[in-house]
Amino acid sequence: MQDPLVIAGREFRSRLIVGTGKYPSFETMREAIVASGTEMVTVALQRVDLDAPGESILDFLPEDVLLLPNTAGARTAEEAIRLARLARAGGLPDWIKLEVIPDPRYLLPDPVETLRAAQELVADGFTVLPYVLPDPVLAKRLEAAGCATVMPLAAPIGSGRGLKLRHTIEILVEQADVPIVVDAGLGAPSHAAECLELGADAVLVNTAIALAEDPVEMARAFRLGVEAGRAARLAGVIEESETARASSPVEGLVRS
Amino acid sequence: MRLVVNGRERELEDAPTVAALLERLGLQGRYALVERNGEPVDRADYEEVELEEGDRLVVARPVAGG
Repeated sequence: MQDPLVIAGREFRSRLIVGTGKYPSFETMREAIVASGTEMVTVALQRVDLDAPGESILDFLPEDVLLLPNTAGARTAEEAIRLARLARAGGLPDWIKLEVIPDPRYLLPDPVETLRAAQELVADGFTVLPYVLPDPVLAKRLEAAGCATVMPLAAPIGSGRGLKLRHTIEILVEQADVPIVVDAGLGAPSHAAECLELGADAVLVNTAIALAEDPVEMARAFRLGVEAGRAARLAGVIEESETARASSPVEGLVRS
Repeated sequence: MRLVVNGRERELEDAPTVAALLERLGLQGRYALVERNGEPVDRADYEEVELEEGDRLVVARPVAGG
């Protein structure tokens, strides 16, 4: 495989991870997942409504994508650990998107609880992908705890505002020994391209695809954005300059 | 036998195992994650784990999420 994304020893061709929430239907979700080219999708866990179980998302997910259960709803380390163990016991992968979110307004993760849960889950054999604010010190602590990635948010979940926290994400990228996956806040494929250009290893996108007018076409657009950004990173983006640098000859001009 | 399933009391006859409970709940063949008295139950053990009077169970599943 050429230029694979490697997480915990597993190779992925695609650098786009897709969330499964908020699609108008499971059929559209499935089509969007296929169009995105992704090889990993997130799912949440929820109690079954025993009066109306309804359709199962698993019947609509392509078989060759890796399921990444998340710990959405957890407000403490204990709640997150409980969800991860429930998922694994029930036969889901032992990969876990660790999110510990006490605040419903901005949905910002709790760094202390996240680190605590990460330490315990790694010790328990999980492959842990923690969702965090892009704090470079916290990122190194999570790496030291044995996390498989660090997943900083670009802007608040679902906000579509793009790479608002660019500066500290650049520091994470510069210092990282594990893949950096920008997760949350991206609104357009150009945002995804920007993440890959600055050296992020992958992005995780949900709302920007699911709530687009045409989610399937937007999934394809994000695929292209991610591919463009990665190609640009490998090609080497030019240094910015304060002044102009002529692209055409400045001597021997016809006018003289 | 009286059980609490997803926060609601249920009177179930002849549901000695987790697998039998899932069947009584109409969830046979569906992907269900089960927690019994706060401890996750391994899928491989659904047929073996015997339920007891007063057990508290959570039956969950994967759903759409980011």
